[in-house]
Amino acid sequence: MATTAAPAGGSRNGAGPEWGGFEENIQGGGSAVIDMENMDDTSGSSFEDMGELHQRLREEEVDADAAAAEEEDGEFLGMKGFKGQLSRQVADQMWQAGKRQASRAFSLYANIDILRPYFDVEPAQVRSRLLESMIPIKMVNFPQKIAGELYGPLMLVFTLVAILLHGMKTSDTIIREGTLMGTAIGTCFGYWLGVSSFIYFLAYLCNAQITMLQMLALLGYGLFGHCIVLFITYNIHLHALFYLFWLLVGGLSTLRMVAVLVSRTVGPTQRLLLCGTLAALHMLFLLYLHFAYHKVVEGILDTLEGPNVPPMQRVPRDIPAMLPAARLPTTVLNTTAKAVAVALQSH
Amino acid sequence: MMQSQQPYTGQIFQPTQAYTPVTSQPLYGNSFEDEPPLLEELGINFDHIWQKTLTVLHPLKVADGSIMNETDLAGPMVFCLAFGATLLLAGKIQFGYVYGISAIGCLGMFCLLNLMSMTGVSFGCVASVLGYCLLPMILLSSFAVIFSLQGMIGIILTAGIIGWCSFSASKIFISALAMEGQQLLVAYPCALLYGVFALISVF
Repeated sequence: MATTAAPAGGSRNGAGPEWGGFEENIQGGGSAVIDMENMDDTSGSSFEDMGELHQRLREEEVDADAAAAEEEDGEFLGMKGFKGQLSRQVADQMWQAGKRQASRAFSLYANIDILRPYFDVEPAQVRSRLLESMIPIKMVNFPQKIAGELYGPLMLVFTLVAILLHGMKTSDTIIREGTLMGTAIGTCFGYWLGVSSFIYFLAYLCNAQITMLQMLALLGYGLFGHCIVLFITYNIHLHALFYLFWLLVGGLSTLRMVAVLVSRTVGPTQRLLLCGTLAALHMLFLLYLHFAYHKVVEGILDTLEGPNVPPMQRVPRDIPAMLPAARLPTTVLNTTAKAVAVALQSH
Repeated sequence: MMQSQQPYTGQIFQPTQAYTPVTSQPLYGNSFEDEPPLLEELGINFDHIWQKTLTVLHPLKVADGSIMNETDLAGPMVFCLAFGATLLLAGKIQFGYVYGISAIGCLGMFCLLNLMSMTGVSFGCVASVLGYCLLPMILLSSFAVIFSLQGMIGIILTAGIIGWCSFSASKIFISALAMEGQQLLVAYPCALLYGVFALISVF
């Protein structure tokens, strides 16, 4: 390496100063050992050397131009021109540095390709995973396998949003502070991302072996049961049916998630904490979705009026005429509160 | 090199110049007659729009992969306006919702298709395809002008139209992006998006 480098060093006249270290090495005894500290990085490749040469020539040109401009400026404006040129150069350098930092950060963090492997699925795989999410497997000695993909969970969350929207529209729910779409998306994505993060945090405390991606996938597929229950019970309004489905379907998907977590956690206290929290949140979320965005009025009026009212009777929700009697302003209350007020008034 | 008896005076491999531009003036000069037609300048080609419309309307017609190479947003704009107009006829002034949902839906599909396909896809292409496949939804909303869609017939019709729209959109996407075997996976998010449009039409 030392013999081939020496003639190369000699031919590169433009790169004079950097190669001084190299020559010192050779002069110091002709040893075959090369001190890497003094070596230029591009010593192995002449391509990079040429690039460096061009860069230096360009810089010299730019310097010459800048010097000429500076001279002109200086001549025209005296000292002020010189300072202006300096500040302009400083500003330009800062801008370049900032731009470089920003583009590096952008390409690192906003790179959507990081998520690409999690969307590589086949329809048959998604179908089988959907069905498996309803079947709890009782294997607690070895960690159960969790499919680490995001397509299925994301589509299930969007399906839940669509079902919620449909339920809200059929029950004429009025949201005062915001939009229907925003509320639905906020609720579903908030649950998926928020509860996943919370359970992941608890899993970290309980020393469970699960990654954030696996938790997102597990909870996402657990929403399949919610979608089924809500789709059926938003269209058939029988409370007994809802409670039955809540226990059966909701219970099955919760049991599946609980079994997976139990297989990945050691210790009875930790298992109880983690699985109890997840089961409670999952079941309560289904309960909340059914009652918050659907026919609340019908349920209350049914139970208060007794068995004389047929179960499927639709009661008009917009009843502002009764409210002036109670001296309540009609614009302040939302529909649910108005209906409750009317119901209470009638007793 | 071939040696011929007589010198060749023709112009082999040189196209004959049937049109000699006047070199002193630019091609589309200053005079009114030399300007290109307005539609050509705007990039609106009615024949292409018609071809793409036919592709959407025939659900069983095989889509050509190169059909979406040129990003044409004129057709989708017309279809969105027509959708809003038919909603207006039914008494629903919801142009804002239509534009908002189409913008967010296009963004979502753009992200998803970029993640799922080998080759990337441009936003204009996604917007163009989704806009063209909105056409059957216009049929649904014009039906809603006269009849209410909240009965059993309405549910069946809505489901059929959503299926038609998403089937066409997924057919064009997989032929343009070469994603065989994933048509169902592309069709489902399209169905969700068109389901939201149907929700606006029905309620």
